[in-house]
Amino acid sequence: MKNNIKVERAIMNITQEELAKAVSVTRQTINAMEKNKYVPSTVLALKIARLFGKQVEAIFILEDSD
Amino acid sequence: METKLLLPNYYKKIGTAVLLISTALWIYVALSGNDQFIPETNFFAVVNGDAMGKSKYFSIDKLNLTYTFIGSLFISGSLLVAFAREKTEDEYIMKLRLSSFQWAVLVNYVLLLLMFLFVYGLDFITVMIYNMFTTIILFIVRFNYLLLKNKLADEK
Repeated sequence: MKNNIKVERAIMNITQEELAKAVSVTRQTINAMEKNKYVPSTVLALKIARLFGKQVEAIFILEDSD
Repeated sequence: METKLLLPNYYKKIGTAVLLISTALWIYVALSGNDQFIPETNFFAVVNGDAMGKSKYFSIDKLNLTYTFIGSLFISGSLLVAFAREKTEDEYIMKLRLSSFQWAVLVNYVLLLLMFLFVYGLDFITVMIYNMFTTIILFIVRFNYLLLKNKLADEK
């Protein structure tokens, strides 16, 4: 699964730290997601999408390998 | 996300202290051979087997409590360390925690399998004694290694 968290974060102009705080996880979690090392839970994906004001599918994208 | 079955973070420090004390005592007993530094005491035993292979049930006897004491201390300490919450606990940390448990059980049993194949006679008892504690120790080492690796990668 790919994601656009880094791009969306740049558009909103917030740091990993600020995003982490807004969705109550650690900065490491945001970092791991941006590096595609961690697939978030549905709850976290929904929280991030809500914060960016977009549909979940606009931020998290399935890949052929999934 | 709610994380169940975890203790508050400060138990990690208490657990580490208990673990270090019991390890020091263990090393002392192993090196000095003095396994009676707690004098034999009358104590309650559910099962007490003697050298002749006879077992007594629900008795009070003079017992050597040295290993009882060190072992209980070691297990309590390692449980506190293993089940203490991190300062900030979230789903990614939980994932690291669970994958560390999986890794520890796997490595523990691969090691035990090798020991079964290559260690014979009375020395196997030593393997059994150490194997009582290896799963949780492997878990603690693996989990903290992953946390540290994760933290260092994050700072780059």
